[in-house]
Amino acid sequence: MRAQFRSRIRLVLAFVILVALMIIVRLYFIQIIHGDEYAQKADKQFASGGGGLFDRGAIYFTRKDETLISAATLSTGFLVAINPQTLGNPENAYAAITNVAPDAISRDAFLTAAAKKNQVYIEVAHHLSEEAGQSLSDKNITGVQVLRERWRQYPGRTLAAQSIGIVSYGLGDTLAGQTGLEATYDETLLRSGDSLYRNFFAELFSNVGNMLVAAKDAREGDIVTTIEPEVQTHLEDDLAKVSQKYASKESGGIIMDPRTGAILAIASNPSYDANVLQNVDPAILGNPFVEHVHEFGSIMKPLTMTSGLDAGVITPQTTYKDTGCITVNTATICNWDLKPRGVIPMKQIIVQSLNIGAAWVATQLGQDNFRAYFTKLFGQKTGIDLPNESGALLSNLTKPQQVGYDTAAYGQGIAVTPLQMIRALGAIANGGVMVEPHLASAVRLNSGIERAIDWGQTTPVFSATAARETTEMMTAVVDEKLQNGKAMIPTMSVAAKTGTAQLTNGQGGYYTDRYFHSFVGFFPSYNPRFIILLYTNDPQHVTYASDTLSSSFLDLVHFLIDYYAVPPDRGFTTSTSTASQATTP
Amino acid sequence: MHMDLPRSARNSALQQNMQRRPTLSFSPLSLCYGIFGVLLVTYIGLIAVVMSYAALTVEFSQSVKNDEAAVATLEGQYLAGVAQVTGTNFVAEGYAKPTATVFVRAESATALR
Repeated sequence: MRAQFRSRIRLVLAFVILVALMIIVRLYFIQIIHGDEYAQKADKQFASGGGGLFDRGAIYFTRKDETLISAATLSTGFLVAINPQTLGNPENAYAAITNVAPDAISRDAFLTAAAKKNQVYIEVAHHLSEEAGQSLSDKNITGVQVLRERWRQYPGRTLAAQSIGIVSYGLGDTLAGQTGLEATYDETLLRSGDSLYRNFFAELFSNVGNMLVAAKDAREGDIVTTIEPEVQTHLEDDLAKVSQKYASKESGGIIMDPRTGAILAIASNPSYDANVLQNVDPAILGNPFVEHVHEFGSIMKPLTMTSGLDAGVITPQTTYKDTGCITVNTATICNWDLKPRGVIPMKQIIVQSLNIGAAWVATQLGQDNFRAYFTKLFGQKTGIDLPNESGALLSNLTKPQQVGYDTAAYGQGIAVTPLQMIRALGAIANGGVMVEPHLASAVRLNSGIERAIDWGQTTPVFSATAARETTEMMTAVVDEKLQNGKAMIPTMSVAAKTGTAQLTNGQGGYYTDRYFHSFVGFFPSYNPRFIILLYTNDPQHVTYASDTLSSSFLDLVHFLIDYYAVPPDRGFTTSTSTASQATTP
Repeated sequence: MHMDLPRSARNSALQQNMQRRPTLSFSPLSLCYGIFGVLLVTYIGLIAVVMSYAALTVEFSQSVKNDEAAVATLEGQYLAGVAQVTGTNFVAEGYAKPTATVFVRAESATALR
């Protein structure tokens, strides 16, 4: 009898195992082999998309006191959809909708949607507030659905819009980052956990790793940027004034910490409100700091000078004879005012912005040396965390004609991006070492851990001595030349250089009356905390950058000194305790 | 030595042996029913717990998102305030530009800092 009982138990067990195996095989085919097909089939049974509420990580600005302010976050509210087949009275429904959300949809558009009787679901209004949505929902109008909705919100509106980026539908049917940091850190910002369909069986086998370690928590998070919202606002305001005053085609500016590459502000004008993209020109959706290249003009001279000093072909005491104009390879090169200066020292090349002097230094360097320095400065992309970075146009430095090197020495004939330019000039401010410019400083993971992003890679280009000697020359520009010396700050050394380049006419030549203005400066000169690059493209009725950008630059310098309470680096003796030390009219 | 026992005696010995074997006070079938019942209740309980947990998670998640949206609104107001202050033309507002600028050592933090 025991044997009989045991054999029955075995029979039942075998049956259970057989059934279990059959179920497992069936599940394998349903969920793994044909999983996607069934998901699509299920999707088609819904009138609206089954993706659930939109979710995405946040992007933050960082205030000077380390407080985080949202640059990109999520808003919640309601959308309104209609079912034309069950909608009783479209006029009444429209009146009810516009009663709670007056600008939701035009009457014609609503009635056109309501007339599509072959459809069962048409979204007619988005982004309704909580109050409006609840109010409309309470009316229980037949054929009108009020559904919860979540969308991307940019509280700063235009603030750093081109660098923060946008989210939209790309080639697929999911919302993804398309430009700026939204695109660069899309994988981190993307949220994958709220799918309508959970494929437990498939996950059991395919995501064993996720069961052991929370891989999603280690990947998904929020992005913390180095952008300081008040500095950013100030920069944008200054650039808007420049563009407005001179009717420029485009103006831009970057404020960076030259020691770390952390970008505190990066702004371009014109820009756009990232919350309202309907009427935005697609041309300004990209990022001009990495996608556009310009001939920057004379702000290239400090790099030529530092290269000459570093190579040892000149010293600050070296003199040359400035003739005002020279002819190189049949081309004539002249100073900006066509005037000769006679025999003058190197410092005057920077202070008076002399093209002949820069060309002379390039000749002293020799083509190989010049190419080596400029390739090191501009030959590679900066590696900034923005998409679609362009490379510099340095083809003139691959040709044997000396004129290409001479013009490159004062910033014509070679074109670089604004970020390449500030990175290269940052080497002068940072003891001859180039850093990696960057916008994101850390990723705040969902697990709660804040993972700092490593931007520590540096590229030595010049010796610290050469960089300091050029810095002294650039400091003299502010102290002696800018606004006829009135720009000098007695308590703060500021190094700067202006640049005015002729615009190319697209036919191999240059306009004689259209310019690209640029301005670079850093302070305190010998231990800089900030480097500022400003530019304005094609300003009207003005020739020199010293006229268009000086006041904006000085305004930013004074703002930063005050905002960050930058201590004075000169003009005070350490022994004195008297407050008033220096006065400037 | 071999002895043949009568049939009745053999049956009697067999019955005695059988009576000496331990017997269960309940049937295995009842045990299976019991286990099945316990497992069923546990299963239903687990489903209830999981469903409640999922519902609470969704509710809390939505609550957090609503709070984040409210914070974003405040942040938007703050940034708009900063933009307004930055964009203010103080000369147009009646303030005069200083005739001279005096640079002083920042000995201590003032209320303005």
